[in-house]
Formats: sequence, C-alpha cells, structure tokens
Amino acid sequence: MNELSASSRITYRAVMVRPGVARRIRGLSDRTLAWLFITPTIVLLLAINIFPLLWTIYLSFTNYRANRANVPTIWLGADWYQSILTDPDIWAAMQVTAHFVIWTVVIETVLGFGLAYLIDKKFRGHGMWTTIILLPMMLSPAVVGNFWTFLYQPQIGLFNYVVAFFTGRAASSFQMLGDVTLSPWAIVIVDTWMWTPYVMLICLAGLRSIPDYIYEAAEVDRASKWRQFWSITLPMALPFIMLAVLFRGIENFKMFDMVNLLTGGGPGSTTEVASITLKRAAFESWRTGYSSAFAIILFVTVFGLANIYVKALNKVKSR
Amino acid sequence: MSIDATPSIARRGLADRLLRRGPLEAIATTIIAVGVVMLMQPLSLTLYSWSFATTLFGTVMFTIVSKVRE
Amino acid sequence: MTSATTAHSVVEPSATTRRFAGSLVVLYAIITMIPLVWIMLTAFKSPDDAISYPPKVMFKPSLEGFCNLFTTRSRQTPEFIRSLGSPQGLCDSIARSRNMVVAGPSNYVPRFVNSLIIAFGSTVLAVALGTLSAYGFSRFRVPLKDDLLFFILSTRMMPPIAVAIPIYLMYRTIGLSDTRLGMILLYTSVNVSLAVWLLKGFIDEIPREYEEAAMIDGYTRFQAFVKVVLPQATTGIAATAIFCLIFAWNEYAFAVLLTSGNAQTAPPFIPIIIGEGGQDWPAVAAGTTLFLVPIVVFTVLLRKHLLRGITFGAVRK
Repeated sequence: MNELSASSRITYRAVMVRPGVARRIRGLSDRTLAWLFITPTIVLLLAINIFPLLWTIYLSFTNYRANRANVPTIWLGADWYQSILTDPDIWAAMQVTAHFVIWTVVIETVLGFGLAYLIDKKFRGHGMWTTIILLPMMLSPAVVGNFWTFLYQPQIGLFNYVVAFFTGRAASSFQMLGDVTLSPWAIVIVDTWMWTPYVMLICLAGLRSIPDYIYEAAEVDRASKWRQFWSITLPMALPFIMLAVLFRGIENFKMFDMVNLLTGGGPGSTTEVASITLKRAAFESWRTGYSSAFAIILFVTVFGLANIYVKALNKVKSR
Repeated sequence: MSIDATPSIARRGLADRLLRRGPLEAIATTIIAVGVVMLMQPLSLTLYSWSFATTLFGTVMFTIVSKVRE
Repeated sequence: MTSATTAHSVVEPSATTRRFAGSLVVLYAIITMIPLVWIMLTAFKSPDDAISYPPKVMFKPSLEGFCNLFTTRSRQTPEFIRSLGSPQGLCDSIARSRNMVVAGPSNYVPRFVNSLIIAFGSTVLAVALGTLSAYGFSRFRVPLKDDLLFFILSTRMMPPIAVAIPIYLMYRTIGLSDTRLGMILLYTSVNVSLAVWLLKGFIDEIPREYEEAAMIDGYTRFQAFVKVVLPQATTGIAATAIFCLIFAWNEYAFAVLLTSGNAQTAPPFIPIIIGEGGQDWPAVAAGTTLFLVPIVVFTVLLRKHLLRGITFGAVRK
C-alpha cells in the first residue's frame, strides 16, 4: 500500500502544478474515486436485490396475497414457516429435489472427471473436441428442456427410438416424461447432458494445476500409475472437484427453467422440485405470504451453501 | 520470522487456540451442511422441521466467525 | 521441446494412451452432439418427416418450419385459394399446398428483437458498472472489501423464483412490469455480480506499475484508469460482455414470470409455438436453431475464457 500512497502524492503534486479545467476531477482523492466507482453497483444491487429481499422477509410474516391487494394485511408471525416446515408435501418436494441434486451431481462428477482425465492426455485435436463438448452448457436451459421434450416423445422421439433400438423394446412402450418412475430420471439425463461439460472444465483445470515434477518424483520412487492416481492426481484435484460439486449442487437445488419446460413438475408431483413448488404457490395460487416464507427458507439454504462455495473458491484461487 | 514467535504461540491457552478462524469456520460449515442434509433427508419429519433453524444458525455463525482474526 | 525429450519424459502419455483417450472423448463428443444436430435437422424437415417413425435421417429439406415460425396462417377452402391468384413468395406457396394462406407475421421476430435489446442493454450496463467497481476493488483499499464482494456474488446465487416474487410486486407498483427497461435493470443486477468478479480478476493481472508510471508522467488516477487500464483490459471486458450477453440471452425464469407480451423474450416464446393439432415441431426446431446459433458462435469465441467465466474469475489456468 506504500507505493500506492506515494504515487497518489505524486499525482496530487502534478495537479497542483498544472492548473486546468479538469482540476476538480483530477483533485479527487483515491478514496473518493473508490466510492464513486463502487457505489453505483451497490445501489443497483440494493434496489433490485436487497430491498426486495427485505420485502420478502416482511411478507413472509403476513397473510398478503398479490391477487387480492385490497384485503387488509394481517401480521401472522412465524405461522407460514411452521406450516411449511411441518408440511409432508413440501418435505416430499425437498426429497424430489434431493433425488435430482444427488444423482445429477454424482453422475456429472464421475463423467466430468473421467472426461477431464482423458482430455488431459493431450491427444491430437483435443482443443477442438473440448470446445464441442462444452457447447451444451452454454445453451438456454429452457430451450434445452423444450427440445428434449421432442426427443422424449414416445412415438416419434429420437431418445425412445435409440433406447428401443438397443434394448429391443417397442419405442412407444415407455414414456420418459409421463411415467412416474421414469420422469425423475428423464430430468437427471437432460441435466447430465447439459452440465457434465461444466464439471469437466473445472476438473481439467485441477488436473492441469498439478506440476509435472510431482509425477516425475513418483516415477523415480517407482510408484505405480494406479498409486499415482490415488495419492497424487485425485487429492490434488480435489479442491477443484469440490468447487464443481458445490456449484452444481447449489444450481440444481434451485433448478427451475429446465424442469419446468420438461415436465412442469409432473406427472403428479414426481418431478416437482422445490422451485416449481414455489412457483406454483407464488404465481398460480397467489399465496404470496406463504410462498415468501418458502422463498426465505430456500434462500437461507442457498446463502449458507454460497458461503461454503466462496470458501472453496478462495482455496482454489490460492493455488 | 523471528525466533521469539514460537514461544508466544506455545504460551497461548487451549481456548485461545480453538477460538481461531479455521476451526470455527469448519464447525460453521459442518452445521450448514448438516442443515441442508436435514432439509432433504427422507427419514424423519422432525429433522426436516428443524433443518431451517440449523442452516440459519450455521450461516449466521459463519458470517460472524469469518470476522474473527486469523 | 524436441521430440526426443518428449519420448523420454515420464509424464508424457504414450501414443497408445493418447489414441485411446482421444477416441473415447470423440465418442462422447459425438453422442453429446446428437440432440443438437437432431434439432437442427428437424428445423429443415416437413411436419410429416419430423414426426415419422422410425425417425428419418435422410429427408427432403423443406423451409416449412421457418415459414411457420415467421408467419401465422389461416385455413381456407380450396375454391377461395384458387381465386387468389399466384402465391406471393415461398411461404405462401407452401401454405397454399396445405390449403392455408399466410395471414400475417408471427410474434417470433418481435420476441427475438426483445431478446436482443434486453440482452445488449443489460450487458452494456452490467459491464460498465462492473468495470468501475472491479477497478475500485482491485486497486483501492475498500472497507469491508471481502464482505462487499461476497454480498455481490451472493446476489447471483439467489433462487430466481424467490427473487421474482417481490420484484413482481415492486414492478407492478412502479409500473415496470412487462417493460424492457424493467428486464434490463433486472438482468443488469444479476450480471453485474459476475462482471465485478470476472473483471476484478482481469484487472488484478494488469501490473500497477503501468498506472503508476502514467501518474508520474502527470496523469491523474482517473486518466490513468481510462487511458492505461481500460485498453489493457479490453480482452477481459470483451469476455465478460459475452458472458453477460449469454446469460441475458438464455434467461427464462424471470422472463416467463415477469413478462407477458410487450417485453417477452424468445425463451418463454419458443415453447409455446403451436401449430394445428399440437406442437409444430419443425417451427419450434427452427426457432430453437435460430436462437442457438449466436450462442454457438460466442462459445467458440469464448473458449479460452470459459473456465474463468464459470468460476467467477477464480480459476485462471
């Protein structure tokens, strides 16, 4: 920080020496400039994120309904929280979310790490193929969800045709999106298709951060490849894997767009992940107070996980 | 690093050593993780009911603890 | 490095390993591309080819999907159609072969334009705000810096539906619901967090000595920022802008909940393209294809910076 204050002193002297129209701007101290630069962002976030958040907290203690704004608002205390946290239906939605989060994260991590491990072998053309693999994660989840409904069509869909081709079952004998047991897996498949590249990319960075000399030392010690993998590769890539797992976990915990387009929560409520339950309560039955309380519960969970995520982020950064 | 630094660390009490950022942050992280697991586990409705309180406590603790000196 | 040293290096994988790894990755890449290629093929199929079983890989290309995407049509009697004279343009003749006439343009173009305006508007705002803040956080001692940075990041982590409830009420009160301005502000607030974190990483990498040298030459701090730091950060700013653009382009949850007509973007519109008797798959596929092409181009442009973007600037390779 010393050289910084020294340089600003020099600036100041320069301003004193040269009188000019821009003197007022030039005379700004670093401190003022710092606030000038940072304040607009903070103000925007306060207006669009924090003020609404505080409003949500307030609403979560009331019986407010957005479609009946004239009804006098009554303070309910923590009633909504109590009813949500004892409601077996919401609990069931959390388990649907858990199924989705756990399976997508596990499959994506295994596939993503495997792919990264293979790409790290630097075969010819690996750059181009990596870019191709990365494409799905850049696409709009909603549009992806929508076109997968086409692939999942029982009569005409490509997915059913391919499964039928390899298993010998009739293509119209199963419905990925209409079947109670298959639909939770249908959303897992699409999410895996879309987000495995994400995990792959981060794992690849982890693998590339391992310096060659460690492997060379292990080679000198005659450690087997298998041993090298378990005692060097995996432990050293672990912070990166954790980072990917946490981020995918958070993202899929609040998953809305793709699932909404694929199944809309159906059939019944077998794919009704938390965000879809929330959307139904907030924008279909207009129970604003109730859904605000639910939103706060989801928000606190995500916020807690975000703390851990930033910790993991800093760990990786120091590498 | 001067040589005197080592004895001064050794003179610190047990409480002083535990109340540092690292372990406290780890505890808060664990509480958050436990809260999230409680929220989504399929075994007990009671655990589910207490999940929010647990996560909230862990998050608040994490925020406070991250201010503690290193 | 010469080939001799490569051959002797213990950490370099052998040619066989490489070929094996390569073929597995290529296999995965091909499988993962099938859904995308399929949707792009479907865009050029006629409705009958699109829903045929078994699915057709070879087909006669048709622009009917694109015509149906851009137009609305009405069914007419053959006598009426014969009385109309010669068809105007390709789409009209395709429609007439199905006993229909083109009634007017569809809503796809306005939705696409909304997507463009909102995406570019929010990107410009987010990158401008983000660059200033990132410079502030990178170069100055800001009180509670880490807390502010975490606060900025956490706003991006919030579940969109949870944010949408109060935003819906707020926008309804101040008259911003279903307006482009409202969506631009909302997307800016989501993107600015990414922009700050990403750009802070990029600006951190520009040596302070450059500015200090400029300031010794008589520049003020602000001039040094504009004339020294900004040109150095061009790549970073461009990469950040593309990330913001992609997010705003792809966003669905806010768009479907907060817009209905005026400001609706393409993602909520594409799924509701309905033809006669159910979804008009070639038209949906055509809409999807047009919507995805810019993203494919951007991904190729961004490939060197993707890793940074998805880790908020933390992992730099």
